[in-house]
Amino acid sequence: MSATFEDIDAAAEAATRRRATLRRYARHPGFMIGAAGILLLLLVAILAPWIAPHSPTQTDLMNTLAPASSTYWLGTDQFGRCVASRLIHGAQVSLLVGFFVVLISLSAGTIIGAVAGYAGGWLERALVAVIDILLAFPSFLLALALVAARGNTLDSIILAVAIAYTPRVAAVMRSVVLTIRPRPFIEASRAIGLTPWTIVLRHVIPNALPPVIVVATVSAATAILAEAGLSFLGLGVQPPTPTWGNVIAEGQTAITTNPLISLSAGLCIAFTVVVLNLLGDGLRDTLDPQMRRNTGKLL
Amino acid sequence: MSAAFELRGLTAAVPGEKAAIRLVEDVSLHVHAGETLAVVGESGSGKTVTFTSALGLLPKPGRVIAGQALLEGVDLLTLGPEALRRMRGARIGMVFQDPLTGLNPVFRVGAQIAEVLRAHLPLSRQAARDRAVELLARVQIPDPARRVDDYPHQFSGGMRQRVLTAMAIALGPRVLIADEPTTALDVTVQAQVLDLLGDLRDADGMAMVLITHDLGVVARQADRVAVMYAGRVVETGTVAEVFAAPRHPYTIALFRSIPDIEAPPGTQLAPIAGSPPEPARRPAGCAFAPRCFAASEAAGCHATRPPLTGTGHAAACHRQGALEIAA
Repeated sequence: MSATFEDIDAAAEAATRRRATLRRYARHPGFMIGAAGILLLLLVAILAPWIAPHSPTQTDLMNTLAPASSTYWLGTDQFGRCVASRLIHGAQVSLLVGFFVVLISLSAGTIIGAVAGYAGGWLERALVAVIDILLAFPSFLLALALVAARGNTLDSIILAVAIAYTPRVAAVMRSVVLTIRPRPFIEASRAIGLTPWTIVLRHVIPNALPPVIVVATVSAATAILAEAGLSFLGLGVQPPTPTWGNVIAEGQTAITTNPLISLSAGLCIAFTVVVLNLLGDGLRDTLDPQMRRNTGKLL
Repeated sequence: MSAAFELRGLTAAVPGEKAAIRLVEDVSLHVHAGETLAVVGESGSGKTVTFTSALGLLPKPGRVIAGQALLEGVDLLTLGPEALRRMRGARIGMVFQDPLTGLNPVFRVGAQIAEVLRAHLPLSRQAARDRAVELLARVQIPDPARRVDDYPHQFSGGMRQRVLTAMAIALGPRVLIADEPTTALDVTVQAQVLDLLGDLRDADGMAMVLITHDLGVVARQADRVAVMYAGRVVETGTVAEVFAAPRHPYTIALFRSIPDIEAPPGTQLAPIAGSPPEPARRPAGCAFAPRCFAASEAAGCHATRPPLTGTGHAAACHRQGALEIAA
């Protein structure tokens, strides 16, 4: 039967397309390094209790500010806590902040940006004004103020950073939606009597997502950086909970005798930011058909 | 018998620097159930604007400033946004010009057809999907049960226009407006799509409005025709009347500009000199006068706007009496 042959052809075609997509990702070294780095960080964060050699809060007062050794891989801090263990556990806080900030700012920013771009008129002007004000306001300062007002628990830090990053997503979303709004299938959706909400949720947002996902990936990096900055200033998650920012701040007092403490925490942050940016660039190159020609270059 | 769809004196405008710029002016048309009305005219003559404004789809800042759009006696222009939304798709369907971009590229076609149904009817997902398969079969897409799960890019242009048609007729509208449905398609596929539209019209007793600039399509498909120029209807009548004895110089010139395959080699086409006026710069008199072979000062062509005169076969021209004798 001919339909059977067509079925086989269609299945084979779909499989070929899937393979081509996978190959495009596999051939992008930046994407692969970024994805591998994120995977590594995720594994470290999830398996922290099992792979950390010591408890992150257990003090060994006989061995304060010890140099790196086989017992304490990166030495100990001024309370005799294992720096390596604190960094391993600190990955949990950083990734949690990164994940939830992206989740919140991506959802809120997508909706706000899409509504602004699609609705037009006074609603767009009002939303754009709010977005612009928030964008013009230094986001770190905004986060500082929110933490000061709400107290420095993990959820208020996440909320503060998410509010600071939402307008960036919204601004990108709106600009993409402006290019989608005049496309004929949007007019067609109106002509068949879909409600504006259905059009935005089902037709506008799915077509606008790729560039926004890229922005979100890069925002995760800056969100992690912002959390570390708040922790460093003592406004983040409070000690003795280990976070990378706390480790840098506490290592500061011993920076002349034992620079490894702050340095290693700083490198953890740098590593995370770099892999997230590589992942974001990789996604941009592979999601955007016009950028596909440029794949294969690392930087 | 009252018309299924009727426009009365429809005027739509956008704000201009001094006064509002009228895109379409005083357009009156009607179409009965089971009948096809062709609306012809060159690009920018206001064909599309007329119908998008009647459906409340005119992009801002465009606005209807006068007239009525009666769908089975209900004036669409007096309805609120929600009531109008319920009419669109359900009672009046529209098929747009470009089938290649008229479907959302990221969803399966079945889901898009099901969406129309679910926007207007309380159907379950499965029921809507089953109806989508039936609709694909109605628009003669082979193997609809399998194609329902394909994406738009897996369809050819003609097939996509069929899918869009299926969406437009999904809820059995009384009126179907097809805006240049075949312009983007190959000639052979054009004929198939036009035949399909004709069959659907006959099967459901729909009233159909066919917007086109192809006089061949008009002759083949339509019962009556309305010729538009510079935002106004300049001639209307049955296809037989208008084709046999066009009364407006613009219509006459349109027929003259059609290439004739029988003409001896080397014969030049007879184009209409000049180009249509922009909506903001339409002349005070007849908008066609500057390009018209019959315009004269004596008849007042450059001074006053000619009304649409005649019963049944009507034309808006000061000189139509003189022309008939000349023809």
